[in-house]
Amino acid sequence: MRPHRDEIDLSTELRALRPAPRPEFTAELDSRAAAGFPQSGPRPIGRVTGLFRRLGQIPERLRVVPGRRLLAAAGTGAVAAIAVATGLVLTSESGPGTTAPTALNTFPSNGKSGSTLRAGSDRTAGARDERLGANDAGQTQFSAPVPSTGASRASAGNGELAPAAGTTRTGRGPYASQVPHRDVERSAQIVLVTGPTEVRGDAAKVFETVHAYRGIVLSSSIRDGRAGEAGATFELLVPSSRLGDAMAAFSDIAEVSSRHESTLDVTAQTIGLRERLQDARAKVKSLLGEVSGAASEAEREAAEAELRSARRHAAALRARLANLQRRTHLSSVSMRIETGGHTGDGGGWGIDDALGDAGHILSVAAGVGLVGLAVLAPPILVVLLAWLAHRGWVRRRRERALD
Amino acid sequence: MSQALLAPAGDPPREATIAFDGLYRANRDDVYAYAAGLMRDRTAAEDVTATTFERAYRNRGRFDPARGTARAWLFGIARNAALDELRRRGRQTTLAVDPIDLASSAPVHPAEQNETRLVVANALKALTGRERELVALKFFAGLSNAEIGAVLEITESNAGTRLHRVLDKLREACNEAS
Repeated sequence: MRPHRDEIDLSTELRALRPAPRPEFTAELDSRAAAGFPQSGPRPIGRVTGLFRRLGQIPERLRVVPGRRLLAAAGTGAVAAIAVATGLVLTSESGPGTTAPTALNTFPSNGKSGSTLRAGSDRTAGARDERLGANDAGQTQFSAPVPSTGASRASAGNGELAPAAGTTRTGRGPYASQVPHRDVERSAQIVLVTGPTEVRGDAAKVFETVHAYRGIVLSSSIRDGRAGEAGATFELLVPSSRLGDAMAAFSDIAEVSSRHESTLDVTAQTIGLRERLQDARAKVKSLLGEVSGAASEAEREAAEAELRSARRHAAALRARLANLQRRTHLSSVSMRIETGGHTGDGGGWGIDDALGDAGHILSVAAGVGLVGLAVLAPPILVVLLAWLAHRGWVRRRRERALD
Repeated sequence: MSQALLAPAGDPPREATIAFDGLYRANRDDVYAYAAGLMRDRTAAEDVTATTFERAYRNRGRFDPARGTARAWLFGIARNAALDELRRRGRQTTLAVDPIDLASSAPVHPAEQNETRLVVANALKALTGRERELVALKFFAGLSNAEIGAVLEITESNAGTRLHRVLDKLREACNEAS
């Protein structure tokens, strides 16, 4: 039991060595304690240290706040956030710059968009060959979800699609950039939203508008039914020179959900075809001379065979050129009429509409909140990690003082 | 030490002040003893003690009984203040006035006991900072192993093990000296 005895002795001796404060110090400290430890002067604290200290104090301070007050503050903050989000949603949906979801209504932005918009069998002839020249074509797309206000129509005017005019010299480069006149193929897509009972009336207005602008209805399809089911689709051709006005007229028929316009510069293809056609004609002419001047029957037959082939080639080129010119003169318009759950339903705005609107607003508000959270999360995480790193660093630095 | 020494934040200020006053009176000398034992400098110990209670007073609302006793919380503040002071002084803990002043602390002890105490005091000087801190917390401030664990953020058993090793080392140093 000797070690135990030693330990007790050591403990006793150590306790006996306990340092005692000076009476003057204790008296002074007592007086300061009684006065609530008045601060003698501001202590210099580094900005970064002070910032981290204040950040570190936030959870502690929150813990100090009574739960009821914390709950009230959190509730107020949540209500304010929802109000702001709802306000943003309502503003964005009712303002002049309405932007309906475009993702559902925009069309492919690659070179295929022209072919998807091209309707009618007469336009598909030779299209593949011209597609091969897509690299030579300058393509421009306009995607404009637009409300049915007049302001938006201005952007759909004729002018915005007009390509830049070149100089008087004819250029054969990949873009034929120096030709004075550009051949541009245009296409447009537009989605209108109306009530289920108004689909037929609006479809009739579409036909009237097409005819008023001397356009062609390539295909149409009209469905009756409830909201969401009823609707119509149209594939139209409209003279390119009147496309802007026609689009404006279409926009007046019903509320525009989205609008998308694109252009494809086919000047280089047109010039190339034209020149190849001239060559083919010249060859036909020369072959005609060979046929008339043939010395023997065999020579004449050979020249005639070659002449037939040259004529076929010239005819094909002519057809392709005509097709290309038709496409530049007539723009394809793909139109869709959709029916929402609440627009022009014949009746008034009811409970279902209210629930639908509320659900929509809440879902968008939740989306806005989620986006806000996504925006705020990274900096908060960075600050949190920095604070933790700082705390660990301070702790290690303190511990090193003992080494 | 009662948990009620620090009144909850929702309590009226008067009660909070009374609770802090109790914490101050019960621990003033212990905090000083710990600081002096760790730093071996009376002036520095006084600074640390004053800083500790000042910080504790200003942050008394942050004390959370769920995280430990008020005494452990207070000594956590004292430790941070002491380590900050040690670091600030560049660890130049010059012994301006030796806190282990045998003449003032034990005037009536027999000569043999004074000699033993001198041996122990010299053995203490040979300890490292961490070892000296353990001794100061345990024997100068009178903290339990659980409270030491809370202050050092280690387990109670770990605190006990470390203390045991320090005492062994001290005992060996005393035996060698005698």
